[in-house]
Amino acid sequence: MMPAVQADTEETRYGAFLDARLMMRFLGYARPHRRWIALAMLLPPLSALSQVAQPMVIQLAVDRHLVTGNLDGFYGLLAALAALVIFQFISGYFQSMINAMLGQRVISDLRQELFAHLLTLDAAFYAKNPSGSLTNRVANDAEAISQMVSAGLINLFADLLLLIAIAIGMVALSPRLSLVVLVLMPLVILVAFQVTRRMRTIQRQGTLLQARMTARLTEESEGRDVMRLFHQQQTAMARFDQLNRDHRANADKSNFLEALQFSFVEAASTGVVAVLFWYGATLMSEGTLTIGILTAFIDAVRRLFFPIRDLAGKFTTMQSAMSALERVFTLIDTPPAIADPPAASALTPREPPQGAIRFAGVQFGYGAETVLSGIDLTIAPGERIAVVGPTGAGKSTLIKLLNRTCEPQQGVITIDGVPVNRMPLARLRRLAGVARQETVLFSGTIAENIGLFDPAISRARIEWAARETGALDFIQSLPDGLESRLGERGNNLSAGQRQLLGMTRIFALDPPILVLDEATSSVDAVSERLIQAALERLMTGRTAVIIAHRLSTIRHVDRIVVLAKGRIVEIGTHAELLERHGLFATLHALQFQEEKTEPVTTH
Amino acid sequence: MKNATPAATRTRLRHLLPLFTGQKQAFVLGFLLLAATNASAAAIPYMMKLATEALMHQEGLTRHILTLLALAVANAFFRIQSRTRIFGMGRDVEFALRQRYHAQLLTLDAPFFDQEKTGDLAARAAADVSAVRMFVGPGFLQISNVLMAYVATLPVMVGLDPLLTLYALAPIPLVLGLSRLLTRRMYRLSRVVADRFGHLSGFIQESIAGIAAIHAHAREADWNARFTAETNELSQAAIRHARMQSLFGPMVLLAGASGGFIILAYGGQEVASGRLTMGDFVAFSGYLAMLIWPTVGFGWILTVMQRGLAALDRISMVLDAQPFLPPAIAAAPAAPQRWNGAIAIRNLSFAFRPDRPVLQEITLDIPPGALIGLAGRIGSGKSALLQLLARLYPAPPDTLFIDGREISTLPEAELRRELTMVPQESFLFSAPLLRNLQLDRPGADQEAVQEAIRLAAFDDEVRHFPKGLETLIGERGITLSGGQRQRAALARALVGAPTILLLDDVFSHVDARTEERILHNLRAAHRLRTVVMVCHRIAALKQADRIYLLDQGRIVASGTHETLLADSPLYRDLNTTMSRAEALEALAQ
Repeated sequence: MMPAVQADTEETRYGAFLDARLMMRFLGYARPHRRWIALAMLLPPLSALSQVAQPMVIQLAVDRHLVTGNLDGFYGLLAALAALVIFQFISGYFQSMINAMLGQRVISDLRQELFAHLLTLDAAFYAKNPSGSLTNRVANDAEAISQMVSAGLINLFADLLLLIAIAIGMVALSPRLSLVVLVLMPLVILVAFQVTRRMRTIQRQGTLLQARMTARLTEESEGRDVMRLFHQQQTAMARFDQLNRDHRANADKSNFLEALQFSFVEAASTGVVAVLFWYGATLMSEGTLTIGILTAFIDAVRRLFFPIRDLAGKFTTMQSAMSALERVFTLIDTPPAIADPPAASALTPREPPQGAIRFAGVQFGYGAETVLSGIDLTIAPGERIAVVGPTGAGKSTLIKLLNRTCEPQQGVITIDGVPVNRMPLARLRRLAGVARQETVLFSGTIAENIGLFDPAISRARIEWAARETGALDFIQSLPDGLESRLGERGNNLSAGQRQLLGMTRIFALDPPILVLDEATSSVDAVSERLIQAALERLMTGRTAVIIAHRLSTIRHVDRIVVLAKGRIVEIGTHAELLERHGLFATLHALQFQEEKTEPVTTH
Repeated sequence: MKNATPAATRTRLRHLLPLFTGQKQAFVLGFLLLAATNASAAAIPYMMKLATEALMHQEGLTRHILTLLALAVANAFFRIQSRTRIFGMGRDVEFALRQRYHAQLLTLDAPFFDQEKTGDLAARAAADVSAVRMFVGPGFLQISNVLMAYVATLPVMVGLDPLLTLYALAPIPLVLGLSRLLTRRMYRLSRVVADRFGHLSGFIQESIAGIAAIHAHAREADWNARFTAETNELSQAAIRHARMQSLFGPMVLLAGASGGFIILAYGGQEVASGRLTMGDFVAFSGYLAMLIWPTVGFGWILTVMQRGLAALDRISMVLDAQPFLPPAIAAAPAAPQRWNGAIAIRNLSFAFRPDRPVLQEITLDIPPGALIGLAGRIGSGKSALLQLLARLYPAPPDTLFIDGREISTLPEAELRRELTMVPQESFLFSAPLLRNLQLDRPGADQEAVQEAIRLAAFDDEVRHFPKGLETLIGERGITLSGGQRQRAALARALVGAPTILLLDDVFSHVDARTEERILHNLRAAHRLRTVVMVCHRIAALKQADRIYLLDQGRIVASGTHETLLADSPLYRDLNTTMSRAEALEALAQ
């Protein structure tokens, strides 16, 4: 039933350890923080110095005072030691804090750019990209990059510098011993990195198995009635136990590799030292090496292993950060298909707006499939238009073209004579307020959802809007009134209440042009009456384009546009179209018959 | 671990202790291996010292080098062995505990689940069980280490100079205390960070879901501002966490260095005055260094164990819960003979919560082979009645009988073979369709599945699925429409060829004509005798042999569609509402 464990997915694949092109681009984000970076680079050598100085001070105290028994100046050395210890503490703290802070700052900038860019992308983009992976880009990928900065990027440079410094010191001490290290070290590094890599793969598999167990448990709990009704406990047990056993076996491997990784570097460092002793003895017998140089050299070699162990640990952090960078930059580089017109050719809409709309020779399609063609329609300021037609006729697309959610392939759409694609997007969309079939609700209070988090819309205005639509009645019946928090996507509201909120939102935003896609979902009789009343009030004094599903709506508009197969087939008043006995008359008979004969009952 | 008397701790650990009983030897072996690891690690610097001396005297070097190599290999071997064994024990406990937890969840029934959130239950199996594992593996390792370090060094230090020992160890309680404090804060703050991160993800997800509204009303600027506020909150939480974390490493170094300082300040004078030898002075510094890390680790592990205990408490809540079905009934074998399908209900009253009666004094008889409709407003108790009939909830004693046997006495295996229900929400597993329909049931072969699909009027659509019956359903596969889900769930119930079938409003997304076809099929189905259905469609109710009309948990009328229309004002009212709804449905088609 389950596919084999797949550790390699788009989200988990590792990139290179270091990709220069990505890194250079990323460093651009670090530039504003270069002073902090400089400080972060400066602190490690300082704190290393204070660490090295401590044994030297102790050595001095031992030689000068302890051995001789003369305590003159001993307390001065004690004070120096105390100062060094405290300095080491402070510099250690700041070093780590600066790293963390840099990680946060750089990533905040990148995250905000990413999110802002996401908001500029158009509906077609969102249709192609699943929301889960987009969320991952902004949340998890950014986090991986932040990890790289705070957990190591600067330390990595410091480690590399340290390695180089130690290497230079070693060569200066003894070129021939250095040769031994040069031969052995790459072997050690190679094995250490391999083990680390294998370990991460195993750990990732463990995470996946864990996730799969959680998924099974969730499914079993959600489907518990089904589990019980069909007596599936035995099977469920067997399936889960298999996963649990796999997880257990995987954990053994992971434990082993973890222990191996730690022990190997330890053992290897002792091994290299042993070889140096042996070779060093030969060199000493030749008289080319002194015991002092050999002990110093061995000390250096032991120091060399610390940054190497560190580097192996950073390896995967870097790899996952690189692939995260790759994905993040790809997203940032995706150009929005619908954008503001270039400043030079931008036109401002007419002030004050009149609300005259014109479609001239408009054609639109997805690929080879034509959705709308030959659309010519002139709507006078203040006119109310209903668009009707069978499913798939292109009604919703007409709306999308008007506020530039889609771009027509041919033809021009103007508002008050200004082509919509020449206006700044924000101006256009404030001009034509679109209410969709399904009211989108966000987590927040009812008031925030009505004003859409616009600080410019006052509380009084929101309350006024709710009173206008009649939504205030049900809002006030909620425990906290307008301040009541909506459940996840407003799931504690009925369909009718959601529609009313959508209309209240339009009232609050007060656009000169109302564009509304009537919801088809059936609502209770009380809401139905409220919605109709609200709609009528909304239409007053505005140009209105409404995709109508209700008879009462159609009765209250000036003209009706009948769409079929992407073309306008009939246009006229209610009475005119009924007389024509065309498609509208047929639709009318088919759809609205029930509403006419069944009086709306109240509970 | 606060205020824990030994007895209370034992009670808290009652689910953990049995998992250890077979592992005593493993613990002993683990401890010995750990001792060997530490001993061989301590011997390596000593061997290096000997090797250096041998180099100076130009003799015995090879022997020392070989010993050094052998020690390195032995240390690596012991370390790998001890770690894998000790952590392995933790993994064993984790495995066993998770298995018990899952098995327990499977025996628990609806009343228990009503009080728990699904997400919480799943999280306990993951995070809490892992937290208990930390208790065992790393917990044992750290405590053993700290024990060994002190046992090995403390007597020697006291033997050298008791007063200096006292001074040198003065920072230790501080180290332990700070380690506890910082790790506790770090854990708490890391939860805050995770929380904030969750918020941010939620905000992004919601913004993407609502992008149409954001675009339509040109809200981008304010949304960016809201996002900035969210990221700032996350950043601040992360920085607060980093502050604790940044203190931790330097704190350890400071503790070690201050011990060294004390040794130099006090011990130095002792050496200078000749009361302490130079060698003792050096040894002291070395011993102190050996104590610092295990002490810090001990502080950390106390925090981890505290979390482990809290996690264990949460797991115990599930392990201690009791299902209403006695284990004997759950495990009893099924009688081979098939049922007749007669249902008798006698004076049945029921409530999910004591203060809210759902069903009151229900009495009715359903003869085998009847098609029964249950009608009534939302919340009138129809679904509850079906849930009691399906034994998802316990019916009070002496109220519910099937073929004359009280429902609580029927073996689980037999009940589930003979009776099934299609719940209101058609839950399907994310698995291939065939697997969803078959489940793990005897006799559920391909033929039975095909027949069930036909009965549920689902066959035409299944044929058009990309891979037919092998089509994957759910998140990773195709999304079924509401009507398709309902028919898949119905087919799943029919595959088992039950005697009694309970349907809880399972045609709400199926169009009227298909519904009629299904009801017609059900009447003709082999084996199937009794059908009790809750439904909101007049057309379906018209087909019922008898309709029971419920209102506020009571049966207020019964009869056929025609007699009820004539006699019951409530039914007439329902009839009007339902007709209107059906007309609207037709409009949407």
